[in-house]
Amino acid sequence: MSTKKWFVLAGFLVVLALAFAACATPTPVEIIKTVIVTEEVMVEGTPVVKEVVKEVVITATPAPVEPTADPNAPKEGGQGDVFRAAILEDLTTLNYWSAYGPINSSMWNYVVEGTYHPIAYGIGYHRWDYAPAIADGMPTDLEQEGDFWVSTVKIRKDGMWSDGNPVTAHDWAWTADVALKLNLQGNWSGYDPNYLDHIEAVDDNTAKLYYHTKPGLAIHQYGVLGKPWMSKAFWGPMVDPLVERMVTESEGLDKESDAYTALVTEITQQLETLDATGEPSAGAWVFGQWEAGAYIENVRHENYFDYMRQVTEYANGGFKQVSGDYTYTSGDTSQVELEYTEGPWFDKTIFSIYSSDAAVLALDAGEVGFVITPNGLSEGQVAQLEPNPNVSIVTNVANGFRYLSFNFNRPALAEKALRQAIACVVDKEFLTQSVLQGAAIPVNTIVPESNAYWYNPEVPLFCEGMTTQERMVESVRILKEAGYTWDTEPAWNDARGGSVDYGVGLKGPDGQYIPEFTLLAPTAGYDPLRATTGVYIEQWMQQLGMPVKAQLINFNRILELRASGDWDMYILGWGLGVEPSYACDFLQRDSGWNFGAYNSEEFETLCNAYKAETDRDKAREIAMDFQEVLAEDLPYLYLFTTPLYDAWDNTQVMFPFTEVADGIGGGAYGLQEYVLSVQ
Amino acid sequence: MGKYILKRLVQIVITLFIFQTLLFVVLTAMPGDVTNRMFGNPDIPPEAIEQAKERLGLNDPILVQYARWWRNFATGDLGVSFSEYPKPVIDIIVERVPRTLTLFLTATLIQFTVGFTSGRVLAWQRGGLVEYGSTLVGVLLFTVFTPWFGLMMIFIFGARLRWLPLGKFLDPRIWSAAKIPGLADSASKGNFVFNRMLLTASIILILWLAILVLTRKLNSFQRRRILWGGTAGLLAVAGIVWALSGVGHLAWDIIVHMILPVITVTLVGYGGTMLLTRQTMLDTLREDYIQTARAKGVPEVMVRNKHAARNALLPVLTNLIIGIPFTLSGGIITETIFSWPGMGRTLLNATAAEDVPLIMGVFSFIGILSLLAHLVADLTYAFLDPRIRYA
Repeated sequence: MSTKKWFVLAGFLVVLALAFAACATPTPVEIIKTVIVTEEVMVEGTPVVKEVVKEVVITATPAPVEPTADPNAPKEGGQGDVFRAAILEDLTTLNYWSAYGPINSSMWNYVVEGTYHPIAYGIGYHRWDYAPAIADGMPTDLEQEGDFWVSTVKIRKDGMWSDGNPVTAHDWAWTADVALKLNLQGNWSGYDPNYLDHIEAVDDNTAKLYYHTKPGLAIHQYGVLGKPWMSKAFWGPMVDPLVERMVTESEGLDKESDAYTALVTEITQQLETLDATGEPSAGAWVFGQWEAGAYIENVRHENYFDYMRQVTEYANGGFKQVSGDYTYTSGDTSQVELEYTEGPWFDKTIFSIYSSDAAVLALDAGEVGFVITPNGLSEGQVAQLEPNPNVSIVTNVANGFRYLSFNFNRPALAEKALRQAIACVVDKEFLTQSVLQGAAIPVNTIVPESNAYWYNPEVPLFCEGMTTQERMVESVRILKEAGYTWDTEPAWNDARGGSVDYGVGLKGPDGQYIPEFTLLAPTAGYDPLRATTGVYIEQWMQQLGMPVKAQLINFNRILELRASGDWDMYILGWGLGVEPSYACDFLQRDSGWNFGAYNSEEFETLCNAYKAETDRDKAREIAMDFQEVLAEDLPYLYLFTTPLYDAWDNTQVMFPFTEVADGIGGGAYGLQEYVLSVQ
Repeated sequence: MGKYILKRLVQIVITLFIFQTLLFVVLTAMPGDVTNRMFGNPDIPPEAIEQAKERLGLNDPILVQYARWWRNFATGDLGVSFSEYPKPVIDIIVERVPRTLTLFLTATLIQFTVGFTSGRVLAWQRGGLVEYGSTLVGVLLFTVFTPWFGLMMIFIFGARLRWLPLGKFLDPRIWSAAKIPGLADSASKGNFVFNRMLLTASIILILWLAILVLTRKLNSFQRRRILWGGTAGLLAVAGIVWALSGVGHLAWDIIVHMILPVITVTLVGYGGTMLLTRQTMLDTLREDYIQTARAKGVPEVMVRNKHAARNALLPVLTNLIIGIPFTLSGGIITETIFSWPGMGRTLLNATAAEDVPLIMGVFSFIGILSLLAHLVADLTYAFLDPRIRYA
């Protein structure tokens, strides 16, 4: 053989060796173990269960020997140098006026920049406890002062911006003033001009909120009190001229006019393109550097006012936080449930940008400590990571739901009995467990179960726990009772091994045939869960003799059709917040989201009462009631939510808690302030 | 020739107009728009979405939007990206092009050199085990499912063997601490280094071509010695300059991160070039002048390299020249798998977000360069083959 051929052969062998080296798995070994088992043995003709000692042969594949500590050994967390997290997309801007607005509202901006700006009150990641952030204690109750409803908020004196300036009420008042005068949209609309008149900085540490219309929880506690503050010292010189121009030039302009819209557009665009370089932070992290497309670095804020804040959660809902000289306590503090200390525990966080699969490989290889994903890891990625003893995986539940919406402008679908019959025949347990193989979790009300405080477990359910036959029979009963008839009634056919003979020619109470419906669902490529569900619901409805066809179409096309009103039913989904005023946003008569034209006096009354309520517990009672109304009326048929998988390298990082609604990555953005370095 | 070039330039303008118009029609015919991603957020009410549409000009009639695009294009503005609002499209392209060019030009040139050389040799050694084996490997690589292949490369060499980085174009641990004198904190260190790497590569290439031209008259042995020596010298000088520049370690980090994607792109593209060269060589070897050269007693290597390979080069070179502008689109799959933030990922994200100005901007850039590349390919034909004349 010539030298060249030897080289070719050698090269080939090297490639083969590499492939084997990469893919080789340890050889299985046989281990003999002594175990105690229970067996049924016959003693004098009577069967008796006895414990028997036996030797069994176990074939096992030894786990690869890793030079790491025993994963089961207790670990301690503490300070570390760099928290390395993988993110899946780059930032779009560092200008928070833009990032918090509607056009630029990418999750990844919040992941990195979300901690820079102080808020008066926040919601805990673990139990969603509502507690003061930079505020000193809770706000005073709303009281009427002249034409205004007023609440006073005391502000802590230890808040500092990273440029050395104190965080004061003036920052808050100024931010609200900018948002109101420039009519900022998106998340800034929480400074809602329909309610909020202005915020007055009485002194550095006292703010008074003036509302011209009495606000409820959603506007006050979960709205204005939770909106970010911008540094007046940094932004003032750049933003004040824009505000002045807006005030001057908009005088006399009709807010509906094109001229006003053009002015708002121009000024907002100028605001959103201002250079944010050097913007100070008041939160746990300060911006370090951004290498576009590669990584972003956050540095620990040396003067963070809540550094080493000790949090105690109590079993009966009590809550306590101690930060330096500041202590806040609420509720019953008799039985400690969980204690943890806020950091940041790392000197830096580096967010490296990977594609989804590369991020998982990076975690597997220990290159990053955690992967931040909005929708959690996929089942395949979890399976890939599971054999790695250095990777811990946790499951949480998404705070959202997929639902089937009905168009009430179609007379047939406006009939409650028809919707209830559909709700009865749709077997969510079977769908989520057998069809979707546990990739989804049933949802029964507009507040998912994970939102424990607001969730109503007692809402009426249709045909829960029934068999397929019972569901069919009950659905037929509901329809018959409401006056529906068939040319051929659906029937259970035992002769065919237990299946349904489809109903034919369903007629409404008016004796007219039910017209053909179209059920829109996204394609399997976009969302296989919704596509599969759409096809199953089509079949279940056809069993009842309903002439329905599922159409799996482009997601954007569904949105277009929904906006046009030219639809019968669709399956879409919502991601939700904590406080359930969203139910009213979605389904109140005049809401822009109420595409199905749901119209219920009872729901209207409850929503109006809810929106006006400022007491959390009373608001909860109303929320319980409107959940029941919606579960009965079924403008939406809630289908399911999804489990969210998070994974981290347990040799690098650990978390004080892992139960987080919407997941550690999606809901808590990686718990950057709390994540500890493994010691 | 001048008249021909002028005629082709006019054709290019007309083609570009048709291309842009068709592209605009296709993009605006897609259902939905960039504001669709706001629909999942209950905090953004429909009125705010409507206002966002107004701000982005999405409520304007299609013809107004079309005219606005042409106005922006004519002024070199290209508008503002919707998905990376309010970044100007031109800034995004300028930021991402160097990264894509560095990766894909390197891969394309390596792939062309290896593919052409091996295709030439394989055609010459037809019928041997090596030819069958290489052809089989070439066909496999040509038809391999690129996403799977890329992930396998990362899995084997990055995750399992840990020889090479798993993706991205740099290691944040090195870059985070690096300071580049004179560069503003907000400026991209990556682009600073990428641009200088491209400049270095261009200078080396120009000097190398100069050596090639200047040594044309020398005999084969002398020429080869000077070429190899010159190449080594140029690389050594470049290496020393970079080592003294203070950012050499950053360039080295980029090179290390490039290895895996370059190998992957090279292997995927290699099959095509090798098979094309092999086929054109086989056709050329059947020509009478090859028989004549052999009959005259010209050495076999000379027949292969000078008589056959040079004629077989034409279609392969055309393929290369026309393919180079498409390197700007950056192989969407490769950039996505290797987390390489270039034009390919930008195009993918822009398309997913229905960011019409950005998609139009990127495609316009690629379109113009592709049309110019066709012109260059035609002119190169005339240069390489004296039989071709344009009237």
